[in-house]
Amino acid sequence: MPNDSDLADASAQGASRPWPIPRLLGTGTLGALAILVLSFPFLTDTGYLLSTGVFILNYALMATGWNFVGGFTGYISLGHAAYWGLGAYATAIMITRLDMPWYLALVTSAAAVAVIAVPVGIAALRVRGASFVIVTIAFVMILLLVFQSWAGVTGGSSGLMVPRAFDVLRTQHHQIFFYLYAAALALTLLVWWAIDRSRFGMGLKAIREDEDKARALGVPTYASKLVVFVLSAFFTGLAGGLYALWFGDLDPVFQFSILMGAYMVLMALLGGIRELFGPVLGALVVGVSVEYFKSEFGDTQFHLVATGLLLALVVLFMPEGLIPWLRGLFQRFGPRASSIREVSAGELAEQVEREHAVDEPGSRS
Amino acid sequence: MSGGLFLQSLILGVLLGGLYALMAAGLTLYFGVMRVVMIAHAAFLVLAGYLAWFFTTRTGLDPILSLAVTVPAFFVLGVGIRRLLITRLKPATMTMMSVLLTFALALVIEGLLGFTFTGVQRRIRTGYSSANFEIFGAQVAVVKLIAFVLAVVALGSLWFVLKKTSLGQALRATIQHREAAELVGIDTDKVAGYGFGIGLATAAVGGTALALDATIYPSLHWHWIGPMMAIIVVGGLGSIPGAAMAAMALGIIHAFLQVPLGATWAQTVFYVALFGTLMVRPQGFFGGRLAQRF
Repeated sequence: MPNDSDLADASAQGASRPWPIPRLLGTGTLGALAILVLSFPFLTDTGYLLSTGVFILNYALMATGWNFVGGFTGYISLGHAAYWGLGAYATAIMITRLDMPWYLALVTSAAAVAVIAVPVGIAALRVRGASFVIVTIAFVMILLLVFQSWAGVTGGSSGLMVPRAFDVLRTQHHQIFFYLYAAALALTLLVWWAIDRSRFGMGLKAIREDEDKARALGVPTYASKLVVFVLSAFFTGLAGGLYALWFGDLDPVFQFSILMGAYMVLMALLGGIRELFGPVLGALVVGVSVEYFKSEFGDTQFHLVATGLLLALVVLFMPEGLIPWLRGLFQRFGPRASSIREVSAGELAEQVEREHAVDEPGSRS
Repeated sequence: MSGGLFLQSLILGVLLGGLYALMAAGLTLYFGVMRVVMIAHAAFLVLAGYLAWFFTTRTGLDPILSLAVTVPAFFVLGVGIRRLLITRLKPATMTMMSVLLTFALALVIEGLLGFTFTGVQRRIRTGYSSANFEIFGAQVAVVKLIAFVLAVVALGSLWFVLKKTSLGQALRATIQHREAAELVGIDTDKVAGYGFGIGLATAAVGGTALALDATIYPSLHWHWIGPMMAIIVVGGLGSIPGAAMAAMALGIIHAFLQVPLGATWAQTVFYVALFGTLMVRPQGFFGGRLAQRF
């Protein structure tokens, strides 16, 4: 079927685009947002607001780490809290038992989490879809059991204290970790962006849309999935390590909670898993709402209901996420979409079905 | 391990395995008719347990009588959930998104239970709650036996419906091959709705049986998700007998390991079985064609 793409010159896309304004606009907005984020610690000296900011950056880092698997391959992991918790406990144990300096412990523990993720990935990535989700949940449940029972090393249910890395006032402590988290987030986003543009990323996205076809086209599916799985665990583990240094008190029930894994999925889906900044936007929305619900409803179970409802609404009505939805709102004012664009397997199926319905009126799929 | 202890573990394992088998049957039904993995099944189990407890504390009647209300209610609820929620998902991402959707459902149920009944642990008290009887030196609680009998009756009725009625025939046809079932004139949409309803109705029975014997609290369903997931992966979600067999085997192994390892470490057997199965046979031991690609 012909559309505007066939009429437009394909080489006009990309480098010598006639309209550089959107791109400039994008870079400008990005710069402004970055400045806004970086100046946040100077705009407020309220400890509560600062700690909320650190919490949201922690969420953003976890969700972006999650999105290496979820966004590229479409494998949805509900148990990513496992790597967050492992990173936190590894950092804490390296500092308290091995007397490592904090930065060394942070990097070593993230690497250790990546190593642990290799056998888990080998087992989990053998299955797809729902089975994969199940395996990831199972992994976090095992870790919860182990860390609760193995009290000699992990402190068990009574928790594990991490000595503070910096001997400063509370507010400054928050500020330092705000920037540490921001730096880690920038690094993570950069890696995600680089993969997104690469040939490797193209293969991964092909897996997301149709794994069998991707394999038939020569994408090394299993190895590619494993590489992003391990990368994802690394960055999520990094978030956990930073959390241990910042918060200073670890409890297995909180570190290895399925709810935390569900937050990661919710944040990434809400923002848009195909988007670089999707998880960050989702983290902002979810982080603010979580804080709001905690302050408003306290210790009741109401936040579970809210999280569940939000997740259900996103899955039912906005599975593509906020960013594509917003873009759709604005695109009707801009130039028409180019012909060479990515189409998800779901969209393709719908398109085919529509054409089918036109071909044979009255028939059901 | 002495003879009495061995027998006791075996009996406990069989009794627990019966409950797992009932759970597995429900999961297989959902998966069969809709390709949906119902994470919220355990949450519905706990919900049914709470309803039974509420019924007994208010009326003073036997908790089993609450089934007369909960089973039809859960059936209608199941039909409604499929109609209003599951069918809205896009077919291309159905299985994956259904996990998230039912997970969200589980969170909502847990939250609402905590909201309504608070997090206090509840226990149903009946005249036979603490009664025991002895067979060949093994002590068996009466409530465990009653729970087992409930599970067996539910499984038996399920078997009867599936094998002996025309609805069951339509259900099995829909599970085996949806398009072919449509070609011979089965309204698969309606049948799938009934399948979902029946699946949820088994959760009502399972939950009541569970509440007879155990202390219930809102977050209890996480405890059941382990066995549930192990059954899905080990059994492979192909056939109800296959899943039931996996459930029974895991229940017995779990009961035997409880003696030397204690309750917490014995629980890990489900996860070990799960990962072991993935390494050896990713499609599960009984599943075959259906389970391979979900």
